[in-house]
Amino acid sequence: MINHHPKFELIQAFVNGDLPASLSAGIAIHADMCAVCQQKIAQFTEQVAENSFEEEFLDRFIVDDNDALESIAAINFDHMIDDIVQSSDIDIAIPKTEKSIEFNGVKYMLPSVLNNMVLSKKANIGKLTRTRIQLNEDEIHTSLLHIKPGGGVPEHTHKGFELTVLLAGSFHDESGEYVKGDFIMLDGSDQHHPVSTNGCLCYTVANDALHFTQGINKLLNPIGSFIY
Amino acid sequence: MQTNLLSIATNAKSISMTDKINHPQLCQWLNSVAHTRDKQAFTHLFQFFAPKILRIARAKFPNEAQANEVVQDTMSNVWRKAHLFNQDKGAATTWVYTVMRNVTFDMLRKIQGNKEDNLSDDIWPVAENMSSEGETFDDHLENENLLSVIEALPQAQQDVVKGFYFREMSQEQLATHLRLPLGTVKSRLRLALGKLKVQLGEKHD
Ligand SMILES: [Zn+2]
Repeated sequence: MINHHPKFELIQAFVNGDLPASLSAGIAIHADMCAVCQQKIAQFTEQVAENSFEEEFLDRFIVDDNDALESIAAINFDHMIDDIVQSSDIDIAIPKTEKSIEFNGVKYMLPSVLNNMVLSKKANIGKLTRTRIQLNEDEIHTSLLHIKPGGGVPEHTHKGFELTVLLAGSFHDESGEYVKGDFIMLDGSDQHHPVSTNGCLCYTVANDALHFTQGINKLLNPIGSFIY
Repeated sequence: MQTNLLSIATNAKSISMTDKINHPQLCQWLNSVAHTRDKQAFTHLFQFFAPKILRIARAKFPNEAQANEVVQDTMSNVWRKAHLFNQDKGAATTWVYTVMRNVTFDMLRKIQGNKEDNLSDDIWPVAENMSSEGETFDDHLENENLLSVIEALPQAQQDVVKGFYFREMSQEQLATHLRLPLGTVKSRLRLALGKLKVQLGEKHD
């Protein structure tokens, strides 16, 4: 049974589109396996949408900000509408393709969220196999990590954060046992030494946070205190 | 159109007590766009959503041209994807929000990370809007209808059913968690399951 879920602040930032792709994908993968979070996300999205499009916002906006109003009027909406409806194109929904990846002779279904992400070549260290997911997010590194039965990750801490979403199998550390679907977010104060008795496959996101660039900092601002 | 916009805003101000969104109307317009490519309905949708999308985009993109691009791309997706909207799965506002958030996400990623991989629709599917395909969910629940049936149960029964099915707690764990005698948990679960059987039986007939 799934025991570890994203905090609500993280779900909020996810729905608002404020998280980097790596963390957004992590939450989407978890929600695909977790009906509880799926429902929270659906409810919060509905609420945010309602708030975003309530008439009173426009009203307030227009009363408060005359300059902004002028620039709104400066866009030619008529022209934009004409331009859009000229197109007779329709976007066909493409059925989700199922992709798989093999580790240690075992085939695993790839979460559909990762379908269009570029995976690097696998790298091997002992019982660990890792493939980087190329999301181009500077200090944030995203990977698929496979641990063979009996393998583990040496004791470590992170300056920044470390997210693990268990895609298959199980592992345990000082705090307990984790199973498929668990969403485990650790920060710099957490120290752990995960071991997988029967093997597992994880989606991991980590940063070293030593040299946060301004761009990335900005990206993480909405959940700053949560992540550091 | 600009004048229309202003008059809409003025009207909104004068009737601000009733500023709730007219959801059935929005749904109807979206469906007209989907089924008959109704340009008039699209114009209504545009007049309702575009100024608000622009306001939201301005907060995320200091660059005016980029904010305008969010409006253009979002509304153009609404025009091309309207048939993917399913009113049984959520409000029109939720669907348009998803389209807008996805456009914004992909644009930010393009600007900040210089990546044009358009991942948003994989993260937040526009067609199904976080529909449940999760195995955990499917293992126990046949379909989403069940969720709505559960939501219709009295709260006390809902708590027990959700704990039992969604969180896979045992009856003993539930009793501890809900601070109820085990007998109460058992009888609530029995009652709730009885109702669910009837409801689902009806639906399947
Ligand atoms: Zn969850």
